[in-house]
Amino acid sequence: MLDQFTSMVAGFSLFWEYKAVMLPGLWYNFLVFFLVVVFGIVLGLAFSTIRLSTNIVLRAIGTFYTGLFRNAPEYVTLVWFFYVPALLLTKLLGANVTFEPLVVAVMALSLSSGAFYTEIFRAGILSVPKGHVEAARGMGMSRTLTLRRIILPQAVRQMLPEFFNECVSVFKGTTLVSLVMVPDLVYGVNLVSSYTGQALPLYTGIALIYFAIVFAMTTIAEKLSNPWRDKGN
Amino acid sequence: MFSIMETSWGRAMWNARDNLLDGLAITLQITGYGFVGALIIGLLLCLITMYVKPLHWPARFLINFFRATPIICQLMWVNYVWPPMFGWPNTLFEAGCVALAIQSAGYLAETFRAGIEGINRGHIEAGRSLGMSAQLIMRRIILPQAFHTMAPAIMNQFMVVIRSSTLVSIIGVSDLMHWGHHLSAEWFEPIGIMSTIAVFYIVVIWTLSSIFKWYSERLRNRYV
Amino acid sequence: MPIATSSDERNVVVKVVDLHKSFGKLEVLRGISLDVHQGDVLTLLGASGSGKTTLLRCINYLEQPTSGEIYIDGRPMGFRIDTNGERSNSSQKDINSLRMEIGMVFQQFNLWPHMTALENIIEAPQRVRKLPRAEVEGFAVELLEKVELLDKKDQYPARLSGGQQQRVAIARALAMQPKVMLFDEPTSSLDPELIGEVLGVMRSLAEEGTTMIVVTHEVGFAREVADRVVLLHNGLVEEEGSPKDVIENPKSERSKQFFSSILH
Repeated sequence: MLDQFTSMVAGFSLFWEYKAVMLPGLWYNFLVFFLVVVFGIVLGLAFSTIRLSTNIVLRAIGTFYTGLFRNAPEYVTLVWFFYVPALLLTKLLGANVTFEPLVVAVMALSLSSGAFYTEIFRAGILSVPKGHVEAARGMGMSRTLTLRRIILPQAVRQMLPEFFNECVSVFKGTTLVSLVMVPDLVYGVNLVSSYTGQALPLYTGIALIYFAIVFAMTTIAEKLSNPWRDKGN
Repeated sequence: MFSIMETSWGRAMWNARDNLLDGLAITLQITGYGFVGALIIGLLLCLITMYVKPLHWPARFLINFFRATPIICQLMWVNYVWPPMFGWPNTLFEAGCVALAIQSAGYLAETFRAGIEGINRGHIEAGRSLGMSAQLIMRRIILPQAFHTMAPAIMNQFMVVIRSSTLVSIIGVSDLMHWGHHLSAEWFEPIGIMSTIAVFYIVVIWTLSSIFKWYSERLRNRYV
Repeated sequence: MPIATSSDERNVVVKVVDLHKSFGKLEVLRGISLDVHQGDVLTLLGASGSGKTTLLRCINYLEQPTSGEIYIDGRPMGFRIDTNGERSNSSQKDINSLRMEIGMVFQQFNLWPHMTALENIIEAPQRVRKLPRAEVEGFAVELLEKVELLDKKDQYPARLSGGQQQRVAIARALAMQPKVMLFDEPTSSLDPELIGEVLGVMRSLAEEGTTMIVVTHEVGFAREVADRVVLLHNGLVEEEGSPKDVIENPKSERSKQFFSSILH
């Protein structure tokens, strides 16, 4: 086992050697991460509003969306979106429709994360005690003012930890895009590994790289949500 | 059944039903072993961080490492790095189980710790003041209450394992996703086949998570 | 075995000899000695930080004394004297077996939330004293009748008011048939209108001759029910005597200050 270990440590130099192939991969992870978070938040805001509306049809649509995309495994969603829309459109329109893998990946992952964000936002808003809202409206505050000054500050405070958790999950999930031909870091490592045959250092290396990034993100997230956690609870 | 059998993909799936069922069996098994493994490893890690002082920091590192690495990394790491380094696991199936286990072990270790430490000290003191031994207190007072607080998180991790089990095909395990993929490629009918598999997963997972949600509510309402 | 040598011929149930307790550098108990005879109701009064709760918790070894001795019904608590006169720490088993003779009622009730009222009461007699369940249940029902909560026997603590929970807690402690009952500020967490029902139960216990040590702020209870009052200040006994003596005619300046500040 020791010689395996030493050859592995020696093999870390491969990361430097092939950095041209692998570093851009990491950039893809971050790009997908950023896009999915942004679209996810937009979807989350939209559908949490829909789920909280008084219209029963709207609420049903919202529940269906979250139910569908929270309960579908991300990989299943991803693969489905990889094959089906392009093929469907091709059949319907007669023309040859293809989607860029990156587009497909971002679309699928955004829909998934959007469902999770919807639940987080909804729970945050529902967590504000009814009494606070009643007090505000009773004093003559308008709906908008109440939302802005009473509901949102408390709701945001309540849901920050879970929100950051979900963002970190999204980042970890960006590694899935390697499975649909998006050249991220995992994809790059797979390439180099089959080319050089040096699986040990490469796969240990990316595990450590992702660990470092995710650990840093989690620590930052904790620091950011801590002051909110203690205030006014 | 009538209309589905008329479609080419329906017939393809029906003809390949043996393979699909095999794939399903593999998925179920790998989920089961993975989850049980996660419970065991998680509990071990938790107990080590709490009671084995010299190993506290290595255990905490492992917990953080398992929580931070993406499942894909873990699958590849366990499958490609462990066998040459540790001589084990020997099969793709085993590697899949182990990877799923370590993914959830970190979260479960934290869950167990929070559950045990969250027990009200006063309840323990009441037990001590009545002459109860430490074992009796653990068995009758700490664990039952810890179970109630931890149950939702544990059930949640089970859902995580199910969702992650879809990925084991990337290291070559012939699970349900593998056969779905294979069939779609072979018959060039991804729409029908992948949709069916997707619907299957969604229905199963949605049902399970609804049951878990109902059970969590029940636990909460009983003692709060 | 040391036995009480006072002129009182009744049994000494709790004997405290020169008890010291420090938490790190802070010495909370600086040498407390007292005897509690069978049937006594002793009330411990004092300002916060005077050490009264610590003293109580040392008696059933929830806190380990730094030095000094405690004897429960003549048996040493927490330590053991060997045949050659050497003193050593007693085993957890011995401590647990002595704790069976001491009942404690906590300020926060500490009923176990996952068990009903009845289950809370029968748990220890059944599993620690290893008595048969039928016998234990019968006794538990009697105790619930005594604290007037028989109709709540199958309720979970979450459904009971504070006063009801505390009465169940008292029944739970009584179920072990202890030689002495310790009360750690039993009414301090209760809403004012619920205090009376708990004090009523404590009063009837006192009238039945239960040996009780009560830490409380309820000076009225001390005055009307207690046989002896001990006032602690800074970890030492400041005054000791009958309620009449201590509360109405305190001797030292500090005692006078204490009572005037809480009685006005």
